[in-house]
Amino acid sequence: MSVGVERGTIHCLLGGNGSGKSTLIKILAGVYAADPGGSVTVDGSTIAASRITSEWTRSVGLHFVHQDLGVFDALSVAENLAIGRGFPTNPVTGTIRWRSLRQHAEMVLQRFAVPATPRQLLGTLRPAERTMVAIVRALQDQSTASSGILVLDEPTTALPSVEVDRLFEALRRYAQAGQTILLVTHRLDEVVAVADRVTVLRDGRVAAGMERSEITKDRLVEVIVGRTLGHRAALRAATIDRDSVLEVRELTGGPLRGVDLQLRRGEVLGIAGLLGSGRTALLGTLFGLHRPMAGAVVLEGAPIRFQSIDQAMDAGFAFVPEDRREAAFLDMSLRENLSAADVPKYWRRGIFRQRAEAADARQTIVDFSIRAYSERQTFGTLSGGNQQKAIVARWLRRKPRILLLDEPTQGVDVEARSEIYRLVRRAVAAGTSVIVATSDFEELARVSDRVLVLADGRVAAEITGPDIDPTDITERVLSSSGERSRGS
Amino acid sequence: MTVEPEPAGAPLTEETGLPAPPVSLRPAHWDLLYNVERFALPALLGFSLLFFSLWPKTGPLFASTANFQEVASDNVYIGVLALASLFPLVCGEFDFSVGQNAGFTQIVVATAMARFHVPLVWAIVLAVVCGALVGVANGNTVARLGANSLIVTLGTSGVLLGIVEWYTQSQSITTGISPALFQFGSRDTLGIPDVVLLLAVAALIVYYLLEHTPYGRYLTSIGSNARAARLVGLRVERLKFSAFVLSGALAGVAGVLLVAKNGSASPEAGSVTDTLQALAAVYLGATSIRPGRFNVLGAMLAVYFIGFSVSGLAIAGVQSWVSQVFSGAALFIAVVVSTVIRRRRIGAT
Repeated sequence: MSVGVERGTIHCLLGGNGSGKSTLIKILAGVYAADPGGSVTVDGSTIAASRITSEWTRSVGLHFVHQDLGVFDALSVAENLAIGRGFPTNPVTGTIRWRSLRQHAEMVLQRFAVPATPRQLLGTLRPAERTMVAIVRALQDQSTASSGILVLDEPTTALPSVEVDRLFEALRRYAQAGQTILLVTHRLDEVVAVADRVTVLRDGRVAAGMERSEITKDRLVEVIVGRTLGHRAALRAATIDRDSVLEVRELTGGPLRGVDLQLRRGEVLGIAGLLGSGRTALLGTLFGLHRPMAGAVVLEGAPIRFQSIDQAMDAGFAFVPEDRREAAFLDMSLRENLSAADVPKYWRRGIFRQRAEAADARQTIVDFSIRAYSERQTFGTLSGGNQQKAIVARWLRRKPRILLLDEPTQGVDVEARSEIYRLVRRAVAAGTSVIVATSDFEELARVSDRVLVLADGRVAAEITGPDIDPTDITERVLSSSGERSRGS
Repeated sequence: MTVEPEPAGAPLTEETGLPAPPVSLRPAHWDLLYNVERFALPALLGFSLLFFSLWPKTGPLFASTANFQEVASDNVYIGVLALASLFPLVCGEFDFSVGQNAGFTQIVVATAMARFHVPLVWAIVLAVVCGALVGVANGNTVARLGANSLIVTLGTSGVLLGIVEWYTQSQSITTGISPALFQFGSRDTLGIPDVVLLLAVAALIVYYLLEHTPYGRYLTSIGSNARAARLVGLRVERLKFSAFVLSGALAGVAGVLLVAKNGSASPEAGSVTDTLQALAAVYLGATSIRPGRFNVLGAMLAVYFIGFSVSGLAIAGVQSWVSQVFSGAALFIAVVVSTVIRRRRIGAT
């Protein structure tokens, strides 16, 4: 692939999951080695792409600011700017020269017009300013504005819309001063708003390049997905006649800004959305993990409002969190992990029925094809896929009415993945209804009866029908994200 | 790397061809190693008893009924403190104040009888309640605010020490204490000191609570992974709080036992040193019986392993610093071994 970036422009790099964006950035940063053959030229100095090192990157002035900013909230702005660069010290005592540190910070902040003072703690800044400090930290030693390239890898994922506007305002200013910026993003609205040029990647190739005047959202979606937009199927399909188990109305709180959804009995409802769209928050709120600010949740006709997780469990909810480390008791036995959600069941008349618990555990191990030599095996010694099966089994044993799955197959091999969904399907056949959120759209398309696209805390689209197409999900997710810039 | 296509539409039959668990899942040496670990501590205790009984230098004095009775009852106090520190430790927190709390409650029980002429039973109840109130203060700060338990309880310990010194003006309380209490401290049934029987009963109750009730399972789960415990519906704050209250109440019992043993209440008795001894026993106990887990039987065996060894060394005439080094080294080794066991158990390297 070939990409050219002009000096003093904001160049956006776009593409779906697996298009090669991240790989390209990592090659540029010297994290991955490229296959031999290609070359990269920055300001006239050329290097074979296979031989890029982080030293070279620094010497030519490629500066990276990653999604995780790597800033320290508990330190002052001046200290944040000095970390990685080095503190000015007194040559005799070796102590930090605070005044010169602050003077340097003052100067840098002024030069880049960051509304912050050197003494302020970073954690007290607004989100956009925190990002700016990270950017300024990368750029502070550049001699002139027009040298070097600033590479921003999805800087806006965690920012609310007002903050995104503030950040972009600053970026535009830097570009006008001659700073070259390469911006990697998922949000098409941002591209339309700030990009001078766009390069869209697909399957590791450049699918298209566009100039400012050609950029429209529809064009971008077309190029990313790789086909022209067809007529979208009617949004509400005719499945409403099946009775709904769970109804959510205008659920608000945290990143959620009024979610409406209906879950039907015996249905697997998929939730698609970008990072920060509210997927995880939605499941957590339904489970009683976060209190909603407004909105109603109706379970089988009765409104519910959980004060705590055990109330949600009593009502028949079950939740498998995104991160397995949040569900696993690694140093306890498999048996204890399996019965973690129904311990009281074995407590009768002052005696803990250990034998019944062990027998149930053995039965579950067989039912859920968990590979373990004994129910007494320490959980941490099971493979990741088997741990995940056990965690899903822990909840399915309770025969939940509603099973909430957040990225249930993250870090799980292909075989365990299909087994987990087979187990979920079996529970569905027995009457459980499922909401599953994952960023793997192929998986979502394969396992869901219906998919809702969540964007900026709202349900933006619904995809139904016998064949749900992963590219369709990708398209909807991309075209509905970023509507926040106009909303709120 | 090759990726096998997955059997997407595989049927939902029960005979999904679950392969027999491969033998490699279970290391061949696992059983042997595990059992060596399990019974290392009882073996050490047995070795220590045998060694000091057979060694001509210590044998005659050490292997006497009187010495056995004395060592057994002298260590009851540390045993109860070990039980007290178990509850917070099982749920992943420290209670560093148990020793000083016992020092505080012995003053409470003695003062109640000596100055306010409270009947023995009510004085004991008062001491246990006061101990529990210290636990309430600890638990509230640790569980509700999420403060570091080690620091909080260390602070509590300092405050209690100050209160004791202020109230007693560094004087012991020796008169006005119910003789029944001291008699209990030195009486025996069928050759077994009554206080040892009391410890056995207390240990049984704690064992039952921790190993045979949902409550114990909940505490263990919190100690293993507090976040996961919350996600299976446990009220983590409340449970942690209760662990500190139980710990405080047991420290109150330990305080009463101090008075029963000494017949008086001294401002020097019951201190951070006792906490350390109790923690040493609990950690040492966690390497055995149920390796990698804090457990009651292991802790009790450890209390008596250290107790009898120190007694044997004393009879052999070694200087007292040797005993100090022995207890300290036992704690150090115990922590290293239990950490290694835990890491291996959860598959970390």
